[in-house]
Amino acid sequence: MGGFLYDLFYNTDRLLNGWSTAAHQSWAARGWPPVILDGLLQLAWAVAAGVFLTVNALFIIWFERKVAARIQIRRGPNRVGPWGLLQTLADTGKMLIKEDIVPDAADRAVFRAAPLLVLVSTFMLFVVLPFGKGLVPADLNVGLVYFLAIGGLSVIGILAGGWASNNKYSLMGGMRSAAQIVSYEVPAVLTVLSVALLAGSLKLGDIVRAQPAYGYVLLQPIGFLLFLTASNAEINRGPFDLPEADSELVSGFLTEYSGMRFAFFLLAEYTNLFLSGAFAATLFLGGWRGPLLPPVAWFLLKSYFVVFLLIWVRWTFPRLRVDHLMELSWKVLLPLALANLLVTAVLVKVL
Amino acid sequence: MEAPARYGPLRSVLSGIASLGKGLWITLSYMFRAPITVQYPEQRVVLPLRFRGRLVMPIDPEKGSTRCTACVRCVRICPNHSIDVVKDTGPDGAPLSKPAKYLYNLGTCMFCNLCVEVCPFFALVMSDEHELATTDRKGLVLDLVTEKHHLTGKKAVWWQRKFRGLEPED
Repeated sequence: MGGFLYDLFYNTDRLLNGWSTAAHQSWAARGWPPVILDGLLQLAWAVAAGVFLTVNALFIIWFERKVAARIQIRRGPNRVGPWGLLQTLADTGKMLIKEDIVPDAADRAVFRAAPLLVLVSTFMLFVVLPFGKGLVPADLNVGLVYFLAIGGLSVIGILAGGWASNNKYSLMGGMRSAAQIVSYEVPAVLTVLSVALLAGSLKLGDIVRAQPAYGYVLLQPIGFLLFLTASNAEINRGPFDLPEADSELVSGFLTEYSGMRFAFFLLAEYTNLFLSGAFAATLFLGGWRGPLLPPVAWFLLKSYFVVFLLIWVRWTFPRLRVDHLMELSWKVLLPLALANLLVTAVLVKVL
Repeated sequence: MEAPARYGPLRSVLSGIASLGKGLWITLSYMFRAPITVQYPEQRVVLPLRFRGRLVMPIDPEKGSTRCTACVRCVRICPNHSIDVVKDTGPDGAPLSKPAKYLYNLGTCMFCNLCVEVCPFFALVMSDEHELATTDRKGLVLDLVTEKHHLTGKKAVWWQRKFRGLEPED
């Protein structure tokens, strides 16, 4: 049994592959088409990802509230459950039983679809996220491209929500978000490219394996900072939360949303935060690799460390002005990312 | 993002990064401070002497009754008409200089302290009581005479020194 437990944590890939082949064999022995089994296995991955996504978002919201409280010398939630851990669960329960309000002037279908669009694009990113050795639904050989492409999709949902609300604040929030995500996608792509150059692959599993023990963060310090900044801006957080800018836009594209649909947006937002951390950990901090602890533990530790960095930044810096935001992307981050890419390319070729 | 004239673009970027680091350092150092939160229902702060809770008309331990003479100065100065005084009457029906009822309406009181300041006999005190919620609006009107409030602690000492002339007027 000790061997099984060891395998469960340290050789998850072997265990999973063993199960998968065994299942396929017994499935084929009955003469059933293997497509159905593949579909079922993928469904299992999707359910696992969905459960993880929900629990993770609940945890991160609690974590952020705690960190924010400590930064402001407060205690944070501490009433519901031990250390207030169940506070977000209680909040979610409350939000789910709220009335589902759709404004009269709203475009009903689009208004209702927008939270799902945002959540779906977030959910789809879990397909390529390597949680541990072999613990990945599909290690695509274009994993990095997939991550960037699908990650950019959430802007459609945000824009749709902003437009369909038929409210000037929502619309401005949606437009700002679109401009922001498109602008910051460019430096993010260029930074990720230099990682791909170093690893010589777009497959996330290969990138993790190609990294030295200390990760790419020491080879790409500027790249790491650029990626953190750009992805922080892409998920509309921290000093870049202009789309929601409470003091100017009420709540931006979230203004007309309440109850369950609001909860969906929030779920997507905090999952995006985790995904930023997870991809930063995968690309720059060596992913699931590390001594002693199981790969999954290392992966989660590193991801939550980056999440902590982003939370810390959010509760430290004031919001940027719209034109400053655009200037930061196009005049500072883009040249830096290009220079970083150029230097990396030359060094990879020479060394 | 115009840099100050004395800085070149590189210097301004570097000084910007340095100042960002400074900000992060400050919030990080705050993270390691003990929280200053008081866990309210369980823990309570010591209230300051001049804290304005609800109005009380304390029993003067020397007289054994309140110090009120029913002069209604507090009624006249109250901006919200939160106070109503019913004078006590003697056996012959003549009014006495002492209240039979002192009706204080918590619902309209704004804790301005004017009644306490105007009272020439130091009959009124703003107490420490601040948990004043009721489930019924009738519960907001209190009769301060019948409740026979006894001040205790630092506030009692302070109040007695005040009407003995030992404490300067506020």
